[in-house]
Amino acid sequence: MGVAVAYLILWVMAPDRSSHALRAAGHILLQASLPLLLAFFMMFMLNLFVTPAHVTRFMGGKAGARGILLSSVAGIVSMGPVYAWYPFLASLKEKGASDFYLVNFLSNRAVKPALIPLMITYFGWRFSLVFALFGVFSALLAATVVRFLNRISSRKTSHA
Amino acid sequence: MPADAPHLDARIADRLGLAPYLLVVDTEDMTFEAVPGPPRTGGPGAGIQIVTQALGMGARVLLTGYISPYIARTLEKNGIEVITSVSGSARDAVENYRLGAFNRVDGEGEEAAGPPSSVHRAPWQDALRKAANQFLGILPILLGVILLVGLFQAFLPKDGLLIVFSGNRIFDTLWGACAGSVLAGNPLNSYVIGETLLELGVGLFGVTALMMAWVTVGLIQLPAEIAALGMRFAIGRNVAAFVITLLASPFIVWLSGRAW
Repeated sequence: MGVAVAYLILWVMAPDRSSHALRAAGHILLQASLPLLLAFFMMFMLNLFVTPAHVTRFMGGKAGARGILLSSVAGIVSMGPVYAWYPFLASLKEKGASDFYLVNFLSNRAVKPALIPLMITYFGWRFSLVFALFGVFSALLAATVVRFLNRISSRKTSHA
Repeated sequence: MPADAPHLDARIADRLGLAPYLLVVDTEDMTFEAVPGPPRTGGPGAGIQIVTQALGMGARVLLTGYISPYIARTLEKNGIEVITSVSGSARDAVENYRLGAFNRVDGEGEEAAGPPSSVHRAPWQDALRKAANQFLGILPILLGVILLVGLFQAFLPKDGLLIVFSGNRIFDTLWGACAGSVLAGNPLNSYVIGETLLELGVGLFGVTALMMAWVTVGLIQLPAEIAALGMRFAIGRNVAAFVITLLASPFIVWLSGRAW
């Protein structure tokens, strides 16, 4: 609603740019439609075949290295805008996936193998390799931080 | 699971509200906690209080003999899986659950108490309905985020970024991370913008921070992330990613051996 109001106001002030914004949003929606459809299909399959026990085993709090590998690879190969994946991640979380692996998935999306050749063209192979490796490392770091924050929050709740 | 004793070999109690104990079991390692059941004089709400307590302990599935269909629907709407007609020992029930032996509505393949529509719907229909509900719940916010990205693309000039970069490595890293946090879109765009900024004399610290924050931090997408994954998750992840971007960018530049 707030965004709609912003568009209305900006339409009055700058109709050309607002029209450009709407076209840009339409273009983004078109680009996101396939990933959104894919995410919906994956949610359907998740609800049909994957039980919370499965999710807990592979992405639960104690999934360990298996969970790290799965969430890292999934994040790296996932395509499309990040918001297309939020509904699917919400489904996983509902079924018991740990925040650690969800954060790892989201942060590993920074690593884009398909775009690495272009990155090498712009910035060189060494920078691109270091950037990609730091992407994976930073994802684990972010996941660890979120897990740590969750534990602090849980302790505060139980002491209350 | 409602049980008649505080251990895993206890029998699953037939009714949640009358069970002496509630077992909360970690399916990963079979550790458990036994919570005293609701007092017999506790009234109709007593069972719900105990379930609420178990959910607060992280339980996501309820295995029981019988539960009121209204309470089962309420729990399922809140993302809790409810399996009824479960009998036998608590240990066997958990093992059967882990093996996927139970279907969603009923524990032993018989029709469970509840409205006929929830019993006679095919599993794929239930899965489709649930996926649609989850998706439609977040769709308005997703559309809002997309419209917001369009606004930023139209009203925020890319060459305006030059204004924020002063040549000071520390501040350039900070402003690069801030700019990347706000900008959104295909990461390819961040490479193009980064390369352009480098050509215009902006240091690699700021450019690296911009590219890293572009894909790891999302202020525009934050409402959608909060709606899907919760406020604590979304804000914690984004703040952590922002700080890590600030710390990692100088290391990336240094290790890559590029001119600063």
